[in-house]
Amino acid sequence: MIKSENIAGSMDRFFISKIRYIFQNYAVALVLIAIVILVSLYSHSFLTIQNFDNILKQISVIGILSCGMTLVIISGGIDLSVGSIVSLAGVIVINQVNTMGVLPAIIVTLGTGALLGAISGLILAKIKGRLGEAFIITFGMMSVIASLTMIYSGGIFQQGSGTGLFGKIGLGVAPVIIFIVIIVITQFLLTNTPLGRVIYFLGGNIEATSMSGINVSFYRVMVFTLNGITAAAAAIVLTSRVGAASPAAGTGYELDAIAAVVVGGVSLSGGRGSMINTVLGVVVMGVLGNALNIMNISSYPQNIIKGIIIILAVGIDIWNKNRQWKV
Amino acid sequence: MHEFALEMMDITKVFPGVKALDKVNFNVKKGEVHALVGENGAGKSTLMKILDGVYSSYDGEIRINGEKVLLRDTNDAKKNGISLIFQEFNLIPSLSVAENIYLGRLESNKLGVLNWKRIKESAADLFQALGFNISADAIVENLSIAEKQMVEIAKALSINARIIIMDEPTAALTQSEILKLFKIIRELKCKGVTIIYISHRLEEIFEITDTTTVLRDGQIIDTVKTCNTSKAEIIEKMVGRSIDREFPVCQKEIGETILEVKDLIRKDVLKEINFNLRAGEILGISGLVGSGRTELARTIFGADAVDSGELKIKNKVVRIYSTLQGKKNSVALVPEDRKDQGLVVNFSVLLNMTICNLKKVTFKNLILNKRKEKLVCGEYIKKLGVKTPSMQQKCINLSGGNQQKIVLAKWLFADADILILDEPTRGIDVGAKFEIYLLMHEMVKTGKSIIMISSELPEVIGMSDRILVMSEGKVKGCFEKKDINPELIMKAAIG
Ligand SMILES: Nc1ncnc2c1ncn2[C@@H]1O[C@H](COP(=O)(O)OP(=O)(O)OP(=O)(O)O)[C@@H](O)[C@H]1O
Ligand SMILES: [Mg+2]
Repeated sequence: MIKSENIAGSMDRFFISKIRYIFQNYAVALVLIAIVILVSLYSHSFLTIQNFDNILKQISVIGILSCGMTLVIISGGIDLSVGSIVSLAGVIVINQVNTMGVLPAIIVTLGTGALLGAISGLILAKIKGRLGEAFIITFGMMSVIASLTMIYSGGIFQQGSGTGLFGKIGLGVAPVIIFIVIIVITQFLLTNTPLGRVIYFLGGNIEATSMSGINVSFYRVMVFTLNGITAAAAAIVLTSRVGAASPAAGTGYELDAIAAVVVGGVSLSGGRGSMINTVLGVVVMGVLGNALNIMNISSYPQNIIKGIIIILAVGIDIWNKNRQWKV
Repeated sequence: MHEFALEMMDITKVFPGVKALDKVNFNVKKGEVHALVGENGAGKSTLMKILDGVYSSYDGEIRINGEKVLLRDTNDAKKNGISLIFQEFNLIPSLSVAENIYLGRLESNKLGVLNWKRIKESAADLFQALGFNISADAIVENLSIAEKQMVEIAKALSINARIIIMDEPTAALTQSEILKLFKIIRELKCKGVTIIYISHRLEEIFEITDTTTVLRDGQIIDTVKTCNTSKAEIIEKMVGRSIDREFPVCQKEIGETILEVKDLIRKDVLKEINFNLRAGEILGISGLVGSGRTELARTIFGADAVDSGELKIKNKVVRIYSTLQGKKNSVALVPEDRKDQGLVVNFSVLLNMTICNLKKVTFKNLILNKRKEKLVCGEYIKKLGVKTPSMQQKCINLSGGNQQKIVLAKWLFADADILILDEPTRGIDVGAKFEIYLLMHEMVKTGKSIIMISSELPEVIGMSDRILVMSEGKVKGCFEKKDINPELIMKAAIG
């Protein structure tokens, strides 16, 4: 008697765990499908090629930003300064294109991004900070960089000099292609290189990684440097598309990027996730934003909805983590 | 009155890919100390975790004092008077010792304000009664592994349990603390408390237990009165064959000095350490908990900074200021704390195996060669006899002893000339211990050197060519193989 009861019980548990598994791993995809179905019932202009094209272009900039952020978050960190790097890199690139030509300007801009990222990484590595310290330090960096941008630009809108070669970067499908290339590179880096392996280990257990004879400081600086570079790359695409740079262009971008990464299922506590998660997250957040626009929902309620989604995503992540302890 | 304090009937527990327990019948009489022994991965911890409500899904029935009980979570277990000392510690690193001990049952007054003074006092009283020298205010993450173990013991004893389960409580302790623990066990037994005692150190079984149950591959092999059996008999039941010698003999040559440590100082922990290590030598380091053995190992490896002193490796003065430097100078350290320092427990066996020597599994240092990684991992799993359903299994799901084997394996793969082992056989069963000793001999035969820190005196004596005894951060004596005897070492260790 007792036996059969138990077996029935374990069957139940089996199905529950299966459903949970699907829910955990594909929750975001399910949300995406739900949004698409609901909104396409509501509006005919939603499920059109033109709108699809639109969404892709809209998500490229945040998407590129999210690639670097994925590395940082998997390594157990966070970077709030990327939005301000986008602003600074934007005004730098537009000015330098005007004075020194396209390629040198791009190199200088990417270099600036790398340097700023490296500084955050270096401070964090030196003080052996964890996630909490990363929040505070990069928050400080955000303020410093935003002020630098204001000083450098004089606080005014920077106009580009017509279209030219630089304008092509943000034109048509180019941003989407750049986004895809960066996705592929990042994913390859994560799964197929020693650097990627160490990034996971940093997020998994930094102490054990250090005790494995690995120079954790070096790798932490590397991660933040790469993140700075992708932030600068995002700025270049954005600036090229707009044809001008506002010294506040990237304000709030860091939250959009972090949201996309976390909603996609990359764990904020580090060590877990991949570019597949991030791409899913970027697409979901992009489609959601677009859908809300189509439904004429203004930006304040939009932000409330986005905020709730982020909190839910973090909640699910913590719930998953706690569940691991119980079998 | 019912004869048995505990009856576990037809317990079966299946994990994905592993049948950890197969129709286990385990009965424990009231007021006895009952030993549970078996190889790594036999299912001992799993059986005990079921009893503590950690695993709520299993088949079978549990009775306490003859009454059927349901143990769905740790609270159920507590209510039934069961308390478990975890093999893999279950403490919260960022909290103080007192908080950890009374977590989940912190007393507060009517306003919900905690009486910190009372909590601290009762923790301090507890340590006093146990004879453990730990401050109730200390933060757990700053404690050594032995101290963490003592906190675990105190925590389990602070609940007035009727059945106390001790899962390898002595694996991280030295002789003097073990004696204190045994005293406590005897006192508890006088009070009628039932104790289940798991250990891989068979001498302890004979010293402290009344009955012994042997578990092998998830099945009960036998339950006997401890006084009616022998060590050899138990080993044979455990591993299915007899082991006639505890330590293998080794023919080898000891060569030139490979490592020289001169006047090494680290403020407050290491005081003018001098010694050398020769090629092909096994140098044992003995001493009490807190004598500076682990700190010395960490300093040589580069995990901690030196304040002054000189290190010479292969006749060259080296500065080792990071673990990477240590690795580059061919020094490896297998740390004592496998859960926090040895492994990323949430990652797979495969990932943990190659992390110390990623270079060796790449194409031109740039791209990971995943096929080679798997080959390497498979090779070391076989070499050390790691019990795991697959390479993809997360380390946290392996038994304690098997986790320890992975820590050893990952550093063996790093292929260093100077291997420092900090309690290498902690939690490893007799059969596997012998295999590890053979591996150590294989290494020194090829001219490599080993520094072995161990709290198990027989092990240090059985394996070392020379023994360094440390006390209070100083080297208190150095004994050649021919002069080694236990009394001398104990005397030097006490200082
Ligand atoms: N959470 C889990 N998930 C999957 N498998 C597990 C889990 N816990 C234990 N196992 C497996 O169950 C078996 C028994 O493990 P258990 O920890 O009970 O061994 P043990 O007898 O305590 O060994 P040791 O002496 O090494 O501590 C092992 O093969 C182990 O890999
Ligand atoms: Mg165990």
